[in-house]
Amino acid sequence: MRGPRILVFSTINISDPGIDLAGASHMEYPASVEVIPLPCSSGIRPSWIIHALKRGFDGVFIAADGGDCAYHPDCTTLTGKVVERAQEMMREEGIDPGRLKMAAICSVCAEAFVSHMKKFSRYLEKAGGRE
Amino acid sequence: MKRNGSPAYDVAIVGAGIAGMESALTLGDMGFRVLLVEKEPSVGGKMILLSKVFPTLDCASCISTPKMAAVAHHPMVDLLTWSEVEDVRKEDGGFVLRVRKKSRFVDEKSCTGCGDCEKACPVPIPDRFNFDLAAHRAVHIPFPQAVPKKAVLIREGTSPCIFECPAGVKAHGYIALIRAGKYEEAFRLHMEDAPLPGVLSRACYAPCEGECSRKELEGPLRIRMLKRFMVDRYYESHPEPEEEGPEKRREERVAVVGSGPAGLTAAYYLAREGFQVTIFEAREKAGGMLRYGIPPYRLPREVLERDLKNITSLGVSIRTGERVESLTQLKESFDAVFLAAGAWEPVRPGIEGEGMDGVVDAMTFLPRVFEGKFPRLNGGKVVVIGGGNVAIDSARTALRYGAGKVEILYRRGREEMPAHDWEVDAALVEGVSLVEWRAPARFIGKGNRVVGVEAVKMEPGPPDESGRRRPVPVPGSEEVIPADLVILAIGLKPSTSPFAGEIEVNPDGTVRVDPTTMETSMPGVFAGGDAVTGPSMIIQAVAQGRKAAFFIAQRLIEGKVDPAKWREFLPPPERGKIPGLGENGRGRPDRVPPVAVREIPTEKRVLSMDEVEEPLTEDEAVGEASRCLDCAVCSLCGECSRVCPSGAIDYSMRDSAETYHVKSLVLSTGFRLFDPSLKEQYGFGKYPNVITSMQMDRLLAPTRPSPGVVRPSDGKAPENIAFILCAGSRDRTVSNPFCSRVCCMYSVKQAQLLLGALPLAEVTVYYMDIRAFGKGYEEFFQQAKGMGISFVRGRVAKVEEGPDGNLIVVYEDTEGTGRVVRAEHDLVVLSVGILPDLSIAGVPGVREIERDELLFVREKSEVVNPGATNLEGVFVAGTASGPRDIPDTVLHAGAVSAQVGAYLLRRKEVRS
Repeated sequence: MRGPRILVFSTINISDPGIDLAGASHMEYPASVEVIPLPCSSGIRPSWIIHALKRGFDGVFIAADGGDCAYHPDCTTLTGKVVERAQEMMREEGIDPGRLKMAAICSVCAEAFVSHMKKFSRYLEKAGGRE
Repeated sequence: MKRNGSPAYDVAIVGAGIAGMESALTLGDMGFRVLLVEKEPSVGGKMILLSKVFPTLDCASCISTPKMAAVAHHPMVDLLTWSEVEDVRKEDGGFVLRVRKKSRFVDEKSCTGCGDCEKACPVPIPDRFNFDLAAHRAVHIPFPQAVPKKAVLIREGTSPCIFECPAGVKAHGYIALIRAGKYEEAFRLHMEDAPLPGVLSRACYAPCEGECSRKELEGPLRIRMLKRFMVDRYYESHPEPEEEGPEKRREERVAVVGSGPAGLTAAYYLAREGFQVTIFEAREKAGGMLRYGIPPYRLPREVLERDLKNITSLGVSIRTGERVESLTQLKESFDAVFLAAGAWEPVRPGIEGEGMDGVVDAMTFLPRVFEGKFPRLNGGKVVVIGGGNVAIDSARTALRYGAGKVEILYRRGREEMPAHDWEVDAALVEGVSLVEWRAPARFIGKGNRVVGVEAVKMEPGPPDESGRRRPVPVPGSEEVIPADLVILAIGLKPSTSPFAGEIEVNPDGTVRVDPTTMETSMPGVFAGGDAVTGPSMIIQAVAQGRKAAFFIAQRLIEGKVDPAKWREFLPPPERGKIPGLGENGRGRPDRVPPVAVREIPTEKRVLSMDEVEEPLTEDEAVGEASRCLDCAVCSLCGECSRVCPSGAIDYSMRDSAETYHVKSLVLSTGFRLFDPSLKEQYGFGKYPNVITSMQMDRLLAPTRPSPGVVRPSDGKAPENIAFILCAGSRDRTVSNPFCSRVCCMYSVKQAQLLLGALPLAEVTVYYMDIRAFGKGYEEFFQQAKGMGISFVRGRVAKVEEGPDGNLIVVYEDTEGTGRVVRAEHDLVVLSVGILPDLSIAGVPGVREIERDELLFVREKSEVVNPGATNLEGVFVAGTASGPRDIPDTVLHAGAVSAQVGAYLLRRKEVRS
């Protein structure tokens, strides 16, 4: 059976190579993880997250660059605001804010990514299906 | 910004390693316009390939990637990768740079970095970003963190086999595909250049084999036999062609005169374009010389029939038994004509008795035998006159058709016979006798029936206009050679006489055409094959048919012919770049002799028209294909282009040059590693388990080529590892008297990381003295000792190979007994030193930049003006000026950036 569906927003410069590396090194993580690359995590709109969760994803994960971002020195703060706003909206919609997670994934953080995915997947499984 | 039409920058930085990136970012942040030029397809230099940074053990790639992304996106930095500075000229207080942008053969804008091309490519090459520990493909993304993350296709030109083929059949391509087990893809690739693969796999003279680089080693690849393997396999599983022609058919009609290889080829490619093609064939069946000239023991007729289906399945109609007498008439009902009537007219000797019964020309004899219409020879004596391939074919055919004895009369010596040597050999083996220096004077008959040839001895006379010595008869040497049948095979002339009044024809009967487009003097009428060249090779006729089809299509679609649009091949690679041939060639190939081709035994073969050669087995074919040296790297097999989802592969891309005006220049060209094979006593390159420290760093990096730290010979995790320090540094015997500064600490780092990766392993470091001079370095060294790493003082004398690929390290125990000790290890790491990278040193303009006695770029004064060189406006950053570790390099790059900034501002002030 497929595990919980997780949508990952990843950055083309930093976290993408890290996630690629997980695959290239034949590490195992749930097959129900789908990745959308974008240049910078601060560009994510909270509405996208709500949209994804309403359209069948069980969780959304933001693989951010943190201080390594090539575009904004304050990328962490900006992305933090996105997450804050999204979780507010999730509460309003009656969605568990725990279904949105963010972590910094570096270009070789393959193991860290895999461990995040496994943990998040377990959390979502426990949290059960969406209301 | 532009200046005199070319882009202008405040500073150009050459080399995008950590020093170059750091300088670019700092200067960009200061507000200067920066051009960053990198010769590799990705930025990042060597640092991105390292495991960790000492002594903090920070992740090297985690520090590099953000910087790499930043230089690619910085608004003030323009990045050129896969580009080389070719010329630096001083001009107007600044510099003009000429930069060659090497062709990626991948469109950077459309490549998404998905890596599908890599999976499809059948050409493996050593992965230089893994320092040859692993292989990657001819088309590849340099490494997962590459910036830009775009594929690059490595091409060193066109492989000699492809370049030599008149039709440009991609031998290297289908060989690579056979090697990869992609037999059907191999067949389809062949169809892109020649539609008669069956015929060519049997009867082509394979000029490709003559150019094969393996020729200089153990003998060329049996390329034709490989083709036969792939064709046989394909035809067995596809009795009918897959192709049905394009859906969109065109209105225009094209007539093809002659159904030989030239006509068939042209018809095939024209039909593929959607044209309505009709072939007119004067004889009873299609195939021309292939059917009526080549004996079935060289070309089985079922192979020919199957090849013909490739053409007819596209809707080409072949009207046999219809002889074309007038092109003008034909032109009335067709939009274009391709004349490929061949060369069928026999040259007659013009001597007494040639009209007698029992004297036939080869082009009468061969077709009738093949069709079973010639009376059996029943033990008779046959004399063949001539020395070309047709003469040999006639002789061998006569033998199989019941002749008792066959003699070939040739008026010169064997070495001068135009027939291929191996054909002559085959005839001799089968029992044909060759009478050299003998020419017929007249034919002797009983009534009107020939009974003998009066032959005269010949000898070399004075040289003719071609420089060849013309044979002259020896007076009084006449003798009679008995014969029941005489076959004349002294030459063929083009069958163009009916058209001589309509189009321009040369005195020798060949049609005059524009050699680039194959168009004749009558617009819309093209010609090719033997009618144009005189008797030639099948592959030559195929080539001309292919070319004519291209220009006929162009003429009909665009209304004109444009020779510039015809495909163009890159030249073959320089010899030195081919593995195994040059001094610095890629790799050293194993010596494997060519596969032995089996033939049916002589005594059996002369009894039938059965094919002489036996096919290769699958194992033989794959083994033979694996001998390919991949001369030009890319095999042009087209697989990457077929699978690329965004159509980014572009073989027609070529290098381009662009000039830039810059106010200042920073060299951050980095270092290269000492080649440890120069220290022969350490066995690098000879013993697989002796590796360099750079290779060890790759094994320890998170992006390592193997799942863990393993040794090359057997993939086992090593248990007892030795580091040999100062390999190539502080060593006058290899002219490197200086200390490379980084080897002690990176070896300590690697030793510590090894204990992390292989907790049970023993690690020994052989050193001269440990140089732990920086902040935290001594503590780092002490920490390593505390972890149980052994440090042995003494220079290693030599490394020998022991059992199981283990290594014996021989050294003098200076701290203990003073004796010579032999210690066994299962992996030896040579901590190689660093040398200046001189790849740019010879470039005009860069040559004037002063270097020190070790050839690093000289800083005028490291203390007063860090990075300033002898030339005003030219700076050096990082290891280009001397050995440095990463923290020092970053520091130096920062200092140099400040110097450059100050220079640019001062310059502005002075100028305003």
